[in-house]
Amino acid sequence: MTQRRARMPAGMLAGCLALSVPGVQAADPLPPQEAAALLQRMSDAARRVAYEGVFVMQHGASMQTLSIINRPVGTAKESRLAAMDGIEREIRCSETGSVSRIMEGGQIKLEKRLNSRYFPDLLPPNAATLTSWYHVKPGERARVAGLDCRQIEVSPKDEFRWGYVLCAEQGTGLPLKAMMVNAAGQPLMQYAFAEIRIGGLPRVESRGLSKTGQTDWTMPPAPAAMRPIMLETVSVRNLPPGFSRITAVKRQLPNKPGEVEHWVFSDGLTHISLFLEPALQPFESIRGQSKQGMINMVKRQVGAMQATILGDAPWPAIEAIAMGLEARGDTADR
Amino acid sequence: MHSQSEQQPAPADSRHENLSALIDGELSDAMARIAITQLGHNPADRARLGEYLAIGDAMRGLDARHDGFSARVMAALENQPVLLAPVPKKRESRPTLWLAAATAAAITWVVWQSNPRDDLAVPLASVQQTAPQFDEASPYLAAHQDFAQAVISTQEMRFTKASLEIRP
Repeated sequence: MTQRRARMPAGMLAGCLALSVPGVQAADPLPPQEAAALLQRMSDAARRVAYEGVFVMQHGASMQTLSIINRPVGTAKESRLAAMDGIEREIRCSETGSVSRIMEGGQIKLEKRLNSRYFPDLLPPNAATLTSWYHVKPGERARVAGLDCRQIEVSPKDEFRWGYVLCAEQGTGLPLKAMMVNAAGQPLMQYAFAEIRIGGLPRVESRGLSKTGQTDWTMPPAPAAMRPIMLETVSVRNLPPGFSRITAVKRQLPNKPGEVEHWVFSDGLTHISLFLEPALQPFESIRGQSKQGMINMVKRQVGAMQATILGDAPWPAIEAIAMGLEARGDTADR
Repeated sequence: MHSQSEQQPAPADSRHENLSALIDGELSDAMARIAITQLGHNPADRARLGEYLAIGDAMRGLDARHDGFSARVMAALENQPVLLAPVPKKRESRPTLWLAAATAAAITWVVWQSNPRDDLAVPLASVQQTAPQFDEASPYLAAHQDFAQAVISTQEMRFTKASLEIRP
């Protein structure tokens, strides 16, 4: 495969991110078949294309730089992300799962992760199904990290999910930039490559966790911190359109004793977590919202259980799930 | 005399007149504060206030499901700090029956914030209330980062009390 390499100074990229205009001059929505094909092309590229680069993630006033190496393995992928600033952190994804390695006090802490998809691999493997819940509109040509790309607006058809503006690389369809936007088109967060090389065989040396000296692709042994749920105490009466439960495990949470149930609902692009645990005492419901409104959450009591619902989703989606919870054998709401 | 009305419960008719005046914004700030405080202790008056607000909404052609002003006012009153007799709030005293009886019930969240947004502001309740703390949110935020697009700390979250209300 032809190699393309491009680079943009990180400072310039940060400036571009800050000055990004929310509105995209998009045409009419594509017919469903064309929209599905376009989304599927971007989704496939993120797994089936070999690439190596550095991208910047911006959310509010915070910005983080990460390196990424991805290479296809059969129909799956192997990828490694490493934080280049802040705490030394590395995430490895393969067909068998995803594990994060965090350097804390000179020790490596391993944590199994439930999700193996990170930018630019944001779209689900069956991305075509997203057209039921999102309009897809092609936008203008743009340039990211020195490469030409086409802007693609993925806008929700209802109030239960955020929209995205992606920029797909012309040759491969690989998303070079992704911006999550609210209903008003205002950016909630963005990713953009500052440097990327597409094609070839990515180097395998680890940029992060340099003190470990581990440079192989072997998936580290994951701690057995998750197990299936045997008896469900809460049921979900209804979900926002297009959402289904994709995960339900018992797990330990960081810096919290005991186990909780962690359920995840998704439409393929938006993810909402539900945490269930015994309520130690009656409590009042609490709603939370991040400063930019991107993350919404609520804690409420469902029978004898405490339910905490949170996700990168608009409030109506969180509310719908929260209000649809019922204690099995006890439908009393609080 | 006003001084007597501050010491003892006013007669029912007088209180109802006060409610009307309160809704119409005809009370002085001091009298409005007293009236709101008294409402916090009197479920019957709160229910009557709800009726008055519903009537007002209906006369103005407002749909309570979308406007929600009345429900927000009632929620704000529910959250009134108890100034004189700090006793636990009884949930069964909620003045929601008149609303539930109106039409098929739908359950929704009604939120009162200590730092209210414009679209959630309740002009009637000007008493500042301490924002609820949810310091233990951090583990949930961290665990959700398996799927989240950004790393969010508890400090970046704003928490508010929320209550379940039944509205038509």
